[in-house]
Amino acid sequence: MAADDTEFPILCETCLGENPYVRMTKESHGKECKICNRAFTIFRWLPGRGMRYKKTEICTTCAKLKNVCQTCILDLEHGLPVQVRDSALSIQDNVPRDEANRRDYLARAAGELETAGEQVDFSGRAQPAGREMLKRMARTEPYYKRNRAHICSFFVKGICTRGNECPYRHEMPRGDPELAKQNIVDRYHGNNDPVARRMLKRSADSAKKSSLASAPEDKSITSLFVMGMDASVTQSGLSEFFAPYGELKSIVVPPKGNCAFINYRNRSAAEAAAAAALDDGCVVGGKALRVVWGRARPKGPQSELQRPATAANGIPLPPGAAEDSAQYPSQDPTAMGAVRR
Amino acid sequence: MPKAKTLSKRKQQRPEGLDEIEPTLNEFEQRMRDAENESTAGKRKVESTWSVMRIHHQRSRYIYDLYYKRKAISRKLYKYCIDNGYGDGNLIAKWKKQGFEKLCCLQCIQPRDTNYGTACICRVPKANLEEGRTVQCVHCGCRGCASSD
Repeated sequence: MAADDTEFPILCETCLGENPYVRMTKESHGKECKICNRAFTIFRWLPGRGMRYKKTEICTTCAKLKNVCQTCILDLEHGLPVQVRDSALSIQDNVPRDEANRRDYLARAAGELETAGEQVDFSGRAQPAGREMLKRMARTEPYYKRNRAHICSFFVKGICTRGNECPYRHEMPRGDPELAKQNIVDRYHGNNDPVARRMLKRSADSAKKSSLASAPEDKSITSLFVMGMDASVTQSGLSEFFAPYGELKSIVVPPKGNCAFINYRNRSAAEAAAAAALDDGCVVGGKALRVVWGRARPKGPQSELQRPATAANGIPLPPGAAEDSAQYPSQDPTAMGAVRR
Repeated sequence: MPKAKTLSKRKQQRPEGLDEIEPTLNEFEQRMRDAENESTAGKRKVESTWSVMRIHHQRSRYIYDLYYKRKAISRKLYKYCIDNGYGDGNLIAKWKKQGFEKLCCLQCIQPRDTNYGTACICRVPKANLEEGRTVQCVHCGCRGCASSD
């Protein structure tokens, strides 16, 4: 079927495994693509010791159309499900679902890909907001746990006769049963994917939580946290902006200088400032700053560093007689600014 | 299975010493027939032939032991056993080589049978295997036939 014989499959780094040396077998018309059901070249390799053998599940055409890994069907750039990537970058799914239409579309696309090249922008260069969101949601480190062997279904029922030599995992299935019902075709097209749904929901929730509109529940928080500053944003500029909303207790700028804490005397002042920043935006020194609620203020040093100089009857005690929790400031973590959670 | 001959012909060809080993050979024959007729219920697809391979190994081992180790039978009787299928000549030939003294079956050293042109996993000494997990090779169910094991 394939006019060109590919030398190497389209895979993500996680699927290939940690070992930079991988031994792979290639079989020309080994299996049917799980999406388009056409015979394609399958590659099979071991992604690391103690892992199961992985093989390519979808053909190169299907993979290129969605810019996903041939085995895990996750985006090549961010490692995110297709539904998440498409909703962030507003990409439409043009692949028809119906059997015959799909085959025809994919067959035509296979031919076109070689001539026209990629048309859809999968990296989202045009939409920085979407791209930002994807970068935030993506994993920082490769997740090799997904290359492990599948769970032994006989073990789950308690009847695995293979025992020690069983190549499948002898563990009970963990995690949300809702997430277990996944379908490869759904994951590929980007609809009805439970993992994607959960990721999008979590991202929406965290965006709401850190937004300025929702005041934090802890009523003692009277400070705002300002980000995105540079040299043009001065302390006086900040006080000029934030002073009208109430009495300022202090403005603290850490040495790095790209952020600041605005501390108010009372809560209503902070809320007023937050509302204003939400409505009009916060612009200081010509720079648009990002304002969010601060976290609970750390309490001051919690230990008494002064020893009682006299005992009960008034006679001065010899040094070292009184036992305290801290002799030096550094022995008391709260005196150094750390927060005891 | 050796070709059936008429009684007189068979009587002529019997080498001396056959009478002593004959009961054991018959026992092996019986066990082999039982293994061939075993039910395949509850077994994996590959597992069904393991018992046949095992008896084949044991039977050949018996002949090899008698001739090469204990020197209890004559060369003529040994040849008779090989020719009549009571022992596998090719397998015994491997046992004479250093490193292959405990070889399980001939399939396990055939590189054409593996994906990457290697030998079977059962040929790896247990010391090199790590993981701590015993493996049963897919050809004959062997759990390790390296000479050091």
